[in-house]
Amino acid sequence: MDSKFKNRVREQFSRTATAYVEAKHFSGGEDLEEAARLLQPTQDDNMLDVACGGGHMALFFAPMVRQVVASDLTMQMLKKAQEHIAEEGLIDNVIFREADAEDLPFPAGSFTLLTCRIAPHHFPDVPRALKEFHRVLRRGGRMVIIDTLLPSDPEIAEFFQTMETMRNPTHVRAYNEDEWQEMIQDAELILQEMLIIPKVHEFQDWVKTAGLNRTQIQNLNKFFMDAPAAVHDYFKIESFAGEVETFTDQKLIIYATRKEKEKK
Amino acid sequence: MSLKPELLEILVCPKCKQEIQANEDASLLSCEQCRLRFPVRDGIPVLLSDEAESY
Repeated sequence: MDSKFKNRVREQFSRTATAYVEAKHFSGGEDLEEAARLLQPTQDDNMLDVACGGGHMALFFAPMVRQVVASDLTMQMLKKAQEHIAEEGLIDNVIFREADAEDLPFPAGSFTLLTCRIAPHHFPDVPRALKEFHRVLRRGGRMVIIDTLLPSDPEIAEFFQTMETMRNPTHVRAYNEDEWQEMIQDAELILQEMLIIPKVHEFQDWVKTAGLNRTQIQNLNKFFMDAPAAVHDYFKIESFAGEVETFTDQKLIIYATRKEKEKK
Repeated sequence: MSLKPELLEILVCPKCKQEIQANEDASLLSCEQCRLRFPVRDGIPVLLSDEAESY
């Protein structure tokens, strides 16, 4: 990963680490339940949660597996996640590593489960990260990736890309289903299932998690309000007196596995 | 805070993917091949090539 970009990511998430740990829209959710349903975790599983952010995925899965290794590029985020998990008590099987998703510091075949939630849109090189995920997964290992779906309509996709970048300049890009399918296959992972679930965002919480100031929030609000009807329909933008209250985006949940036996 | 030794088995150098060795109090991790030293901050190993120190 380009080190200047990496530093921007770390600066962004160091500044907002506490908000991420506390964010209600990350701590629970249907996507976590779906991930558990797909992965069927057991006490024999050794899990890696890549780009763990506030540690919500790690905390959710910890009671179901033997051990969770939670990695993130940002030390401040790891510290906050570690504190948060310690406060929960009872959980003693989560360990933290500062690592780059595109250069993972784990031996080949270390994990039986791998998760990566709402993070790949910050990766400059998703295919490279996927190759790393394949490498660190044991044969037959299971993986769930969750990320925001890129809308298929170009006009809506352009709005989406702009609004995400206005909110967080380290947003690189999201991908649609076809792109994910191709990247998963190129990484020699076997796509088992893809599903899409809607996610409702409280606009004010969503902007505050990203640490925006008042002017930036006003600009983003205006950008939403001025968007064409097709955008309002897709994102189900709800507003009152010119202020965006909620909008809904689509989360893509990808369930893939590593082959049982490698072809030589 | 130092690292539990049993946890080191699942760490390799992010660059060359070879095993890394901890020093006595597990405050530093070294890759002999790349001649890099990785810091451990608040018990969390920092396994980033550009945060590592050459030796």
